[in-house]
Amino acid sequence: MKIWPLRFRGGASDGYLFSDDAGGFFRADASFLDRYVSGGLTARDKAFLHLGGHGFEEAGDLAHTSFAYRWSQRQAIRTELGYVILVPTLRCNLSCTYCQVSRAAENARGYDWSEETTGAVLRYLDRLMTSDVKIEFQGGEPLLRLDLLEKVRTFCRRRFTSSKFVVCTNMQRMGAEAWSFLDAPDTFVSTSLDGDSATHTRQRTQSASATEGFLSNLDQALERLGADKVSALPTIDIDDPPDFDELIEAYSSRGMRSIYLRPINHQGFARRARSVDADIERWNTLHRQFVEHLIDLNYRTGAGLEEYYFSQCLRRALRPGADEHVDLRNPNFFGSDYVVIDHDGKLYPTDEARMLSRIGRIDLSIGDVLTGMAAEKRDILNAASLNSFEPDCIHCAFQPYCGSDLIDDLSRYGRSDHARSSTWFCKRHTSVFDHVFELMYRGDAAAGHSLAQWSGIANWGAHLVPKLS
Amino acid sequence: MIPLQIAASTPSADPFIARLNSEGRAFELERTNGRTPFDVDLELVGSGKLVYRSASIELELKSVDVNDVDGDVVFVNPARGIAHRLVRAGSAHNTFLITERCDQLCVMCSQPPKRGHVDMFPYFEAAALLAPKGAVLGVSGGEPTLFKGQLLPFLERVLGQRPDLSFHVLTNAQHFDVDDVRALSRLPRDRVTWGVPLYSSDSEVHDGIVGKVGAFHKLAEGLAILARSGATLELRTVLMTRNVEALPALARFVASHVPFATSWAIMQLENIGYGRLNWAELFHDHSQRFEPVGEAIDLARSRGLDVWLYNFPRCTVPSDYRQLAPPTISDWKRRYPAGCDGCAEKAECSGLFEWHTDDRGFTRFGLL
Repeated sequence: MKIWPLRFRGGASDGYLFSDDAGGFFRADASFLDRYVSGGLTARDKAFLHLGGHGFEEAGDLAHTSFAYRWSQRQAIRTELGYVILVPTLRCNLSCTYCQVSRAAENARGYDWSEETTGAVLRYLDRLMTSDVKIEFQGGEPLLRLDLLEKVRTFCRRRFTSSKFVVCTNMQRMGAEAWSFLDAPDTFVSTSLDGDSATHTRQRTQSASATEGFLSNLDQALERLGADKVSALPTIDIDDPPDFDELIEAYSSRGMRSIYLRPINHQGFARRARSVDADIERWNTLHRQFVEHLIDLNYRTGAGLEEYYFSQCLRRALRPGADEHVDLRNPNFFGSDYVVIDHDGKLYPTDEARMLSRIGRIDLSIGDVLTGMAAEKRDILNAASLNSFEPDCIHCAFQPYCGSDLIDDLSRYGRSDHARSSTWFCKRHTSVFDHVFELMYRGDAAAGHSLAQWSGIANWGAHLVPKLS
Repeated sequence: MIPLQIAASTPSADPFIARLNSEGRAFELERTNGRTPFDVDLELVGSGKLVYRSASIELELKSVDVNDVDGDVVFVNPARGIAHRLVRAGSAHNTFLITERCDQLCVMCSQPPKRGHVDMFPYFEAAALLAPKGAVLGVSGGEPTLFKGQLLPFLERVLGQRPDLSFHVLTNAQHFDVDDVRALSRLPRDRVTWGVPLYSSDSEVHDGIVGKVGAFHKLAEGLAILARSGATLELRTVLMTRNVEALPALARFVASHVPFATSWAIMQLENIGYGRLNWAELFHDHSQRFEPVGEAIDLARSRGLDVWLYNFPRCTVPSDYRQLAPPTISDWKRRYPAGCDGCAEKAECSGLFEWHTDDRGFTRFGLL
């Protein structure tokens, strides 16, 4: 039997984690590692590796074919462009301490789509090949330009077989017209809820009464639009994180069971007064503690809560095809299935690229809505948007489950070739995947209880995670 | 039990295919210009008989209700005086039995093979083309791919002429070779599902169950060819005492070696044929011990496979797994014991096989 190359990680008392290019994994001890590298595998080793799909007899046999299939399923496929993030205005009626998007003041001029840009956006949408479009309105605060939102929505409903709209709003000031815009069944709301009201006030609104206004609008939205049309996520300031229980209460009391802890991006104006990646260890510790907190809480109370990003990483470790989160997939081609159109009509590969460009550090725009996508520039970015051939990644046991984030690398290190293993992205994901695999093999009832829910099965057990003992 | 054969008489000497039309259907055929040479219209409803006629065919059916057979496509065998209902218009469970020959002899076979073979392909083709819109037609045996030289072109022609139809083919997948990849790839992949049995990840256990040395290895080759052809695959595992404890290992094998399976069906034993004969040895009462089944399901589902429980009455399945047990027993051989009346989940439940006697049942069985 020929064995597919195995990467390994660990060395803790309970041995090593091994994985192959197609994402198959198992645990074994140091003596197996010795046998593997010295070519002394026993018949029992080989039977174990065969059952797990880690080897084959000859090209084209079932083991070989199924490995090829699993490998190909692990690659995020390019799909047609059907997801467009629009920034009709950069103006905002809040000024959050770490604003991610480089906002403009509410009454500033020159930060909205011009008439020419608006026309060009509609023509751009008209040229899309898809019959099924998703539009995300970003800002600034997009509800300040309800008229433009209406224009886009009316156009898309007529142009596409199906269309879906997400308004990313701070829900701070909601007039009757805004509510009636959101009432439509094809229109969804995404907002920020940073935790308990003190945290939310400190980070976003700067006044208790403004926070109260927001919370009352959020509750009204949940009531009026329904929980399935409203999503919220907290931005976590690692220098001043919220109390876990108060954060959880803010979500679970509103019937929201999925909480996505989002670190403050190192883009836009948020990067001022922050060192490049001094806080990664603290972030990893906080994230790990939060997940452990949920495990304990779920086991004691049956709460059924998840941290979204952890669940997503767990699903990616277990199976192929969990590519719906655009920040974590491989390859992660830019300007492929989604694109951002800024307030001035420029095209960006991601929202983070837009923010980074706005501070003038680098121009990551990939064209203009008037002239179309600058394919050559996009392709330069895409050449660095996969981890499959990165010198550091190819030796990493987590490569099949992980991704890459060129924009984050550029924002922190000012270059695309910073050693991958020392990036913020790598340190963050190494920590999450270490935690994922540690929990999968932990073998205690509390962890199993949550893992079963997060991976969508009835019961978790040791048989789910192969171990050569 | 719904009858699949009807006593028939006809002046014709040779076998033929006919589609039965009541007045309403006949009118609709005229209106839509859909009449074929196979259509026969109801002429007379007599005492215990129906008479159908076309320009060239006269057919009398006995002891059958006109509404039950309206739109059915029948194969009439004059010598035996039988009309076989090849396509029952009101049913989602129509199967063409391609042959009774088989190269395996499975310990639980519900339909033990016979030596003889009658080539029915021309009749099946005519019948398929007359099937109701959107029908899914089963193809079974014996082993249908013993006649793959006729089977593959048959599928290709019917699917080419009827873009609304699809097929479900039950096969042991041991007769494909590399040269078949082209013919398989030409079939519309979402309209042919290959139902293929796999009983164990241990080749000796699998070969023992199917009664054929080397079956496992031939099957592995066949599965690789189906994968390379982009075929839609439904993997099937009958639960038995011989394989139940190793079901989690099989799940691991399926996840790593057959990940291209669109679904994996774990099936309860059918109490007929050799299954009835060997019941005492083979039957595993999962209502008593579900653990290995549950572990296999969890493992396969965690790896992204779609797993189903076929022929599992819902009350015999722990509630965590019950949503995986849809009604799968074909209408014509399904029954619900009298005690099932009033069960909240009867409509979603398989019930029991018609021939499943009460003394061979599940220890835990009762209203939900």
